Amino acid sequence: MAVATETKNNFLEMTGIRKSFANMTALQDVSLSVPKGEVVCIIGPSGCGKSTLLRTANWLTPADAGEVRLDGELVGAMPDMRSTSVQARSLNAARARIGMVFQQFNVWPHMNVLENVVCPQMVVAKRGRDIAEKKALAALAQVGLEDKKKDWPENLSGGQKQRLAIARVLAMDPVLMLLDEPTSALDPELVSGVLAVLKQLAEKGMTMIIVTHELGFARSVADRVVFMEGGQIIEEGSPNVILRSPSTKRLQFFLEKLNITAFKPKSES
Amino acid sequence: MKFDLTYTLDALPRLLDGSLVTLKLALLGFTFSVVLATIVTVARTVSKSQIFGAIIAVYISFIRGTPILVQIFLVYYVLPIIGLNIGPITAGIVALTLNSAAFIIEILRGGLASVSKGQFEAARSLGLSGFALWVKVILPQTFMASIPPLVNEFTQLLKATALLSTITVVELMRVSQQIYSNNYHPIEVLTGAFVMYFLMCFAVSRSASWLEATFEVKRA
Amino acid sequence: MNIDLSIFTNYAPQLFLGFWMTIKIVVGAIILSLPFGLVLALGRRSRLKLVRVLTTSFIEIFRNTPFIIQVFMFFYVLPFYGLHLPAAYVGIVALAAFGSAYFAEVIRGGINAVAKGQLESARATGMSDWKAMRFVILPQTLPIILPAMTNQTLSLVKESAVLSTITVSELTMAAIKVQGETFRPFEAFIMIALMYWALNETIATIMRRLERKVSSRSNSGRASGIARADPAVKDD
Repeated sequence: MAVATETKNNFLEMTGIRKSFANMTALQDVSLSVPKGEVVCIIGPSGCGKSTLLRTANWLTPADAGEVRLDGELVGAMPDMRSTSVQARSLNAARARIGMVFQQFNVWPHMNVLENVVCPQMVVAKRGRDIAEKKALAALAQVGLEDKKKDWPENLSGGQKQRLAIARVLAMDPVLMLLDEPTSALDPELVSGVLAVLKQLAEKGMTMIIVTHELGFARSVADRVVFMEGGQIIEEGSPNVILRSPSTKRLQFFLEKLNITAFKPKSES
Repeated sequence: MKFDLTYTLDALPRLLDGSLVTLKLALLGFTFSVVLATIVTVARTVSKSQIFGAIIAVYISFIRGTPILVQIFLVYYVLPIIGLNIGPITAGIVALTLNSAAFIIEILRGGLASVSKGQFEAARSLGLSGFALWVKVILPQTFMASIPPLVNEFTQLLKATALLSTITVVELMRVSQQIYSNNYHPIEVLTGAFVMYFLMCFAVSRSASWLEATFEVKRA
Repeated sequence: MNIDLSIFTNYAPQLFLGFWMTIKIVVGAIILSLPFGLVLALGRRSRLKLVRVLTTSFIEIFRNTPFIIQVFMFFYVLPFYGLHLPAAYVGIVALAAFGSAYFAEVIRGGINAVAKGQLESARATGMSDWKAMRFVILPQTLPIILPAMTNQTLSLVKESAVLSTITVSELTMAAIKVQGETFRPFEAFIMIALMYWALNETIATIMRRLERKVSSRSNSGRASGIARADPAVKDD
């Protein structure tokens, strides 16, 4: 099962990540390496630490121990690197290259669709308005929202909001995308539109880490599936191998439970 | 010239006496205004008279729209003219009561709105009516729901007592003014009074959650 | 009791001068206290503990003491440090300090009311904490806090009356002088009470109109960061 990641050129390198909240351990010594162009799907029961792991990748949740490197450069490490302004600046620079998509979309309600995509380009990437708008329109076209550019977020459906959030990230020319359950908050009939956009990105060679519950999607886009439980990586490998014939009892159990619920009406998902 | 703490310490006993007067004024004013506001609230709900409602609305708007200092002057200077010869302390308490009652009427209106219609109906169906309905069922729930804003109103009232110094009521503010007009050390003396006001108000405003918890337990 | 109406006409110029002074003082205090209140509100969520402690203390001290004693403290403390200002300026400074403590709490409440995901998504694009505030959080805060800001403005108008105690010649001081000359306190004080009332009603009306404008422009979509169920019928 072991994919020989060591031999590839590792692009994102997370080593020895530990994190606990209040009195709950979310991550215990997790390491994850992602080579350029790879699509990694993280699956696991809720509370297994998969979202926390994703959020430490851009240091949005600072880890208690361990370090994250992107292309060899430090993103975050414990002791807390926000302690000086220089480090804070380098963290912000790293984040500008890492796009993050949230379960709850987090589009900005006080800006229209176009401004949502233009704003971070001008504020963070320091692009002029002309370039920013051109890039924004291209990104919106990529997610199929070019005709909504003057709309307000509150008039968009959940699926459209999520595609807007993806466009906002794409316009920043990210080298890595982190997606935290991007379809979990969507009504079932809106899921496919978002997944189609992600699949397209995967085919174009975007490096992505996706926390997801959609096993079918994971099977079709992932180069590698990582199964987590109890704040640890239990099993990882190519989707065809580990989703068909899991080698650990825990993944077996997880997949069985999921298959049982899969026969229930779709609204359960 | 520099800050000399001995003047603060020397003033402390008298400042403490002044604090007691301040607390008494605030407690009296608060008690009267809660009673007045409760009566008005019940009367307004029961009578449904539009004229009464309009008068109360204008009264509340006037109180909320004008400085309490001016209200204090009005009561202090005007009541003697119409033949009511009351001292500054009584005038002060009357002014504080009239002011605070307006705010408490608004608070109780909010509290009353949180008591469901079903409570009225359930009590009536049990044969409770009039006085008993209000005292046993409606008002306890209204006050329970109003504890945090009532505590806040009490701190407002506590702070407002300091304005009575302007009509010669000898409370904490006035006491400190008397002391420093003798020893010419206003900063040291005022600092002492300032700390006392802060301790009183801070303690009261922090008590809101404690009060809520206490009443919550009693009710269970 | 008979009312002497001639006082209104004879002393109107004096009262209106005081009225104008009150407006100037309140406007001055607001201009100072809005930015300072914002700084205090942001200071309370600083990652430096010292900044948090200092700003929180400032806010709590000014909210938990009577304005009149704050005024007297400024009146005596400023000259103590060699700052000899005319009474009106001392009054503006005192009112601004008082106002900024309250404005800070209003702004902080507004910031907290914006969904947490909004700040996270802004930080995730690489914005600094300040930029995230400036471009994403504060614009969403404004429509939330306007009603509370209105109330604080009205309260500044009312508190400004206290400045008469340090001889600032504002509206209440004007009435005290008229009262001293005429021995007709009722006429003097009811007159200024009506003037304060009218001023506050005017401010409240203007602000309510502004609130409506702002909330319609911001499309009232500020809760969208929270899982708001979308109507499933919308085509995607």
